Amino acid sequence: MKVELWGTRGSIPAPGPETIRYGGNTSCVGVTLADGSMLALDAGTGIRCLGLALPDEPTRLHILLTHLHLDHIQGLVFFAPAFRPQTEIVIWGPASPEASLRDRIARYISAPLSPVEVRELPCDVSFRHCPESEWEIGSARIRAASVSHRGPTLGYRIDDGDSSLAYIPDHEPALGVDLEALEEDWISGFALARDASLLIHDGQYTDAEYPDHVGWGHSATSHALTFARRTAAERTLLFHHDPLHSDDQLDDLRAEARQRWVELGGEAGAVELAVERTGYELPARAPAAAATV
Amino acid sequence: MTQRPLELILARNLMSALSTPAFLVDEGGLLVFYNEAAGMLLGKRFEELGTVGPQEWGSLFGPFDESGEPIPYDDLPLVRAVRAGRPAHAEMTVRSTDGTQHDVEVSAFPIQTPHGSQGAIAVFWPALAGSNGAGPA
Repeated sequence: MKVELWGTRGSIPAPGPETIRYGGNTSCVGVTLADGSMLALDAGTGIRCLGLALPDEPTRLHILLTHLHLDHIQGLVFFAPAFRPQTEIVIWGPASPEASLRDRIARYISAPLSPVEVRELPCDVSFRHCPESEWEIGSARIRAASVSHRGPTLGYRIDDGDSSLAYIPDHEPALGVDLEALEEDWISGFALARDASLLIHDGQYTDAEYPDHVGWGHSATSHALTFARRTAAERTLLFHHDPLHSDDQLDDLRAEARQRWVELGGEAGAVELAVERTGYELPARAPAAAATV
Repeated sequence: MTQRPLELILARNLMSALSTPAFLVDEGGLLVFYNEAAGMLLGKRFEELGTVGPQEWGSLFGPFDESGEPIPYDDLPLVRAVRAGRPAHAEMTVRSTDGTQHDVEVSAFPIQTPHGSQGAIAVFWPALAGSNGAGPA
């Protein structure tokens, strides 16, 4: 399984010289499975560059949306493959009692917010609610589960051969609880992340910032590290960077997170901050190895 | 390991922050959590007791009606809420571990999710003096 980070920022795009190293695009992770099947996890502004990198030929692509906040769908109408008739796109997302996934996404892909409507997209696009049980895409088994965030929100686990990716970009598992002491089955997202080869997890706030953002649906650094340690993920990427965090601030956060991870008994280097345009190969039965895209 | 439904996780999180005694059962009627306030009422913290099956609950703490008779399990508000998917209310007496009896009013409501009922929450309120005469409502 190959994992590529196309957007690592949370909340709103944050382009500029102060965010150029960690990236300013919002959430999008490209995944290429062992059989060549392609997935996009979320469709923030990062999916625009993912689309430009895809070959201009008949393509089938699955987009797995964690939720429909704008920073996770904003790139959809700028995703080049959606404007090619030879492309088939399946969009998966959380169900809601209020309206179908298609209708909820159409609120964004419609006037006055968008110059095109869903029905005008030249590609063959379909919308599916994620099932409660595991399902298959290509060579992978996919599992989705509701996680603690604002509004209906999913986390995903992708098992492909012996490697596994857990993707929980917007997550506040420590809301109102002591994450250290809580039993495993009561931790939001635990089953998704358990023993994952790679965990991509919300790390939006520093511990100093979190008290002013309790209930906003995101994690402080210590929460993300505790979650990673409790779930025994082999490698963890802190993701969904706050748009106010500059590269220099994220450098400091990276150093702090790495040090605290070791203090918690973790393997040095197993925790990193997500960097846009970085790729990871998840080979079977071996720790994830990083490589620049 | 079976992951608890998120709705139960969030319910427990909320209950943990309340000073009102509150109880949580899963879709099978298993008592899976009660908060510190409930633990003070019963004289035993949840961490000491652990998960309790439907039948054990009655033998531990009652509850009793106004004549001191145990209230049938099927008539408990939590059980009615889980089974019928409807809110339920009752007045009753519960017995703490030191033998102290507490007259309480109990309101229970089901936790309905897109995937169906996942359990129920019951909140206990001190009964007004002398009000425990109605039995299960």
